[in-house]
Amino acid sequence: MAELGTPLILPLGDTGLLVRFAATLSDAANSAAIGFARQLRRRLPAGVVEIDPNLVSVLLKYDPTRVRFDQLAGEVRLLLSRPADANPGGEAVASYTVSVRFGGDGGPDLKGVATTLGMTPEAFVAAHNAAPLRVLTTGFAPGFVYCGFHDDALKLPRRSDVRPPVPPGSVLFAAGQTAITSTPIPTGWHVIGLTDFRNFDPAADPPTRLREGDQIVFEAAP
Amino acid sequence: MTTLRILRAGPATTVQDRGRPGMLQHGISASGPMDRGAFAEAAALLDRAGGEAIEITRAGLDFAVEGGPVRFAVAGGVFQAKVNGTAMAWPGSVALADGDQVEIIPGPAGNYGYLRFDRTIDVPPLMGSRATNLVAGLGGFGGRALRAGDVLPLAAVGIEAIMANRVAPRGLSNESMPIRFLWGIHADLFRPAVRQAFVGASFSISNRLDRMGIRLEDGAGVFAGTPILSLVSDAVVAGDIQILGDGTPIVLMRDHQPTGGYPRIGTVIAADLDRLAQMRPGTALAFAPVTLQKAHEFYLSGSAE
Repeated sequence: MAELGTPLILPLGDTGLLVRFAATLSDAANSAAIGFARQLRRRLPAGVVEIDPNLVSVLLKYDPTRVRFDQLAGEVRLLLSRPADANPGGEAVASYTVSVRFGGDGGPDLKGVATTLGMTPEAFVAAHNAAPLRVLTTGFAPGFVYCGFHDDALKLPRRSDVRPPVPPGSVLFAAGQTAITSTPIPTGWHVIGLTDFRNFDPAADPPTRLREGDQIVFEAAP
Repeated sequence: MTTLRILRAGPATTVQDRGRPGMLQHGISASGPMDRGAFAEAAALLDRAGGEAIEITRAGLDFAVEGGPVRFAVAGGVFQAKVNGTAMAWPGSVALADGDQVEIIPGPAGNYGYLRFDRTIDVPPLMGSRATNLVAGLGGFGGRALRAGDVLPLAAVGIEAIMANRVAPRGLSNESMPIRFLWGIHADLFRPAVRQAFVGASFSISNRLDRMGIRLEDGAGVFAGTPILSLVSDAVVAGDIQILGDGTPIVLMRDHQPTGGYPRIGTVIAADLDRLAQMRPGTALAFAPVTLQKAHEFYLSGSAE
């Protein structure tokens, strides 16, 4: 696992402080972001009104009437320096099994993905489900989760065109990751299947089930 | 029961309240009024206001009151409003009774107006807010824009509506001032010459603007030679100035996607976001950098979200 440098602490607008662990996505940077988000969830610094973990960063939204940026940045540096809390992001708190109907109408890109990777669809599904994945973050759209990381052998860029909106529960594949949609969205990812698993319920509190760092086991629906 | 029957609605007319903060981690931006100052100004014209507004767009809105009476206030941009054919002041407030018809037609300035009542606009709260997020199709009136035939129920004002709104109203008078911004999280990825050209260059508002973002015309070609940068997707906030692969600048607004992968050169400060939202297509604008300390002085002086 690559060594990470010192995280950057940057203003994002006048009510945001972004802690960025790397400029590119890696297992180490994502684990560090998850670990820091967990630290914050245990104790939110004064004046912070919202936290938003991302692939390689955590955004802290703060109230400038309650805390100065420099004060908050100092507190963040202190939190980041505590070895006792360091990097607990690698361990899953919860595990979910997500049953997917691969291929067919709900997964029109399965055959093409398998062909490009030089596999049969069955072999691809087996490879895809072989190891548990981690929820890297939620973002882009309500309840949209990024899960990773697949082996390098399964890496594939996104499609060159964007599909019109795909239904909630669509299972997407690209760039060594699998994503699950919760709302109808257009997508440039490969659409490989459909699940009944629902991550997003606007009437529930909280409205999403999956947290960054949770473990996801994908399985083929019988 | 008092209701509002929508007779005619311009595109993207929505129910908004102060917004739905705290949901970025679930992939949902806060929404809320495009012009927060005007939203507050309309409430200040009422002794007590419901927490919601109808946010109208340039084409305006016609509606009829059924039941009643209800007090009604308007602010934001410059529209023309009539009650049963008689002009009312903009901004202004008036008492409405059963059967009254209100007609709001385009005026000379602004993109967004706010219609507030001494009642709650009683659409179901979703994740703690009645604000509409048009991009996600959530909240407000069935997650969508209002249209002719819709009936909005009004209910007695709850305790939350009595909370003072500390946002100071702002006018359109200083439209020629530069839009102030903080350098963004990707500013260092732009060449120094591009950063220098960005400051003070003349841009204009294109005709592609909505609650998600405002596309700018880059007449001077500041970003014309910017190579496409592939970035890891990261948190987005309202006011972020992102540069698309073809060099088009977009300022992201209240219904922004919660994350994005385009480089962001800067973020418009909260105090100037309302003014930007009200600029019509064709309006010229320039950007001026400020320090975070200055941005917070403007924020703390009351002119912020």
